[in-house]
Amino acid sequence: MSAMPSNAEPKDSLEDRSVVRISRASFLSLAGKSLLALCGLLGLRGLVEFMSFQPDPAPPTQFDLGDASSYPPGSRTLISEARAVVLHGEAGFTALSLICPHLGCTVALAPEGYACPCHGSRFKPDGSEQNGPAIQPMNTLRIEETSNGQLILHTGS
Amino acid sequence: MRLSTVLAAGILLLALLAAAWLQYRQTTPVALTPTLTGKVEYCLTCHKDLEEISPSHPVESFGCVSCHGGERLALNADLAHSTMRGGANPSDLSVVEASCGGANCHSGNAQDNRDHIQRVLTSVQTTYAGAIAQIRYSFGAQPDLTARYGTESVQAYQKTDPKALPSLLKFDPVQESSPYIIAFAANCLNCHLQSEPLPGTLYNRFTGCAACHTTTAGKDPEQSIHQLTTAISYAQCNTCHNRGNYNLAGMQFEPRTDQPTDRLHDYYQPIAQLTRCEWTLDCADCHTRHEAMGDGNLYSSKADIRYVQCRTCHGTQDELPLTRTIQRSDDLALRMAFLNPVIDLKEGDTILVTDKGEPLWNIRPLPDGTYELFGKANGQRFTFRPVKGSTCQQKPDQQESRYCHECHAIER
Repeated sequence: MSAMPSNAEPKDSLEDRSVVRISRASFLSLAGKSLLALCGLLGLRGLVEFMSFQPDPAPPTQFDLGDASSYPPGSRTLISEARAVVLHGEAGFTALSLICPHLGCTVALAPEGYACPCHGSRFKPDGSEQNGPAIQPMNTLRIEETSNGQLILHTGS
Repeated sequence: MRLSTVLAAGILLLALLAAAWLQYRQTTPVALTPTLTGKVEYCLTCHKDLEEISPSHPVESFGCVSCHGGERLALNADLAHSTMRGGANPSDLSVVEASCGGANCHSGNAQDNRDHIQRVLTSVQTTYAGAIAQIRYSFGAQPDLTARYGTESVQAYQKTDPKALPSLLKFDPVQESSPYIIAFAANCLNCHLQSEPLPGTLYNRFTGCAACHTTTAGKDPEQSIHQLTTAISYAQCNTCHNRGNYNLAGMQFEPRTDQPTDRLHDYYQPIAQLTRCEWTLDCADCHTRHEAMGDGNLYSSKADIRYVQCRTCHGTQDELPLTRTIQRSDDLALRMAFLNPVIDLKEGDTILVTDKGEPLWNIRPLPDGTYELFGKANGQRFTFRPVKGSTCQQKPDQQESRYCHECHAIER
């Protein structure tokens, strides 16, 4: 029986150097921590989304109509984006909402005043009711002229 | 770390991933804030391609929930639809007050002629009182033809006609002893505004207001129709009024089996006499809103409410038809013409009226002594002459339409 050389290492011992041996307890600990870390990241992402949520902006209730001189005396100007009309009468600037007081349709400008395209209500040029079904006048809106001559229309209540 | 902890972490991760996936899949809502309610609703998320139901009910103003009910913020179809009124038809009479009512809309305002719901609920089209009374009288269950029962119990909305009844009880076939009346209840109550139609495209209609105001005749019953109209053609009336005959011996409905190809023959009664206007015009061209929708009185029969005759438009040998000049901008005739603009009507125009004062707003006299009529369903213009000044020899005491038919009916 020949003796093995003293500097020779067993073959299987060389291969074991490339494999990290880990105990079962260590593996479970690593897996658990990894899963918890992922949970934390996902939860954090959800929290960031929740905190950064931006609701749809409320419709504007204030409109800058520009220079008041753009609205000559006697004029009636449609402000489509505000669903309103600006009147420049003898008493100054007034504004009427084009939302019909009957059932909320958008009233159209007519030669003799205003007409609702849904149910036929008609209003006089000053917004007072002419015939039904609407039984109330068109709503007036607040309009102001700033010190630098700008017209600001307020459609909010 | 214990195995159970790892498993718990894994389950937590899966739950978070599932939540993220569901969030990813969630539909982005399409918001609408109708001017009528000012409350946001998400119905258009799924229904944005639905056609506008009518020019009088724009979705921007009314939204969906005002009429249909439902959960306005739900993005799940089942939840969103769970509280809808009347399923797909909010005009069903069981829910119509909540859907279409209100003094600004269609109920309770008689002065402004906005009491459609009250009138319809008491009309013979809804109560079916005449048919029930006729059958009960014919088979000995009541001594005369005065109605006692309707499809539902109902009180009169008003009592302005001497023939009108104060109330009707709900017709209950269980209380009947005649097998014919019981069979009638089982087989023949298919043609009132609260009943589902018989199967078939020609009978296809909704219940309630939409039975007449939605054009369904001839269309696939499975087809989704989102439409209301005042331009009602005879075909829509025919979903009830031209379907076939009731066999009183067997107490069975027998649908017509022929397939007429023209209007003249498209009427189920082979012995019916029709004059030209009866097979060229639409029913609504002559018959009024009170005849069709009721006037608030409870009647025993349709004969008590149907009153337009040939003479209403043609007059008699001695008298021209009644007319009225529109003097106010809120005249009902102008409103009718606005909702169905087949005629350019304005203040100062003269129109025909019935002997009860209802406006025949689509008919007006012409300077040459003739009259023009615009079809409500299609706007087609017709002209006609009065009887006065013609060679008509009708006797003064025979002014009902049946006497006109003796000379003017067309061979079918």
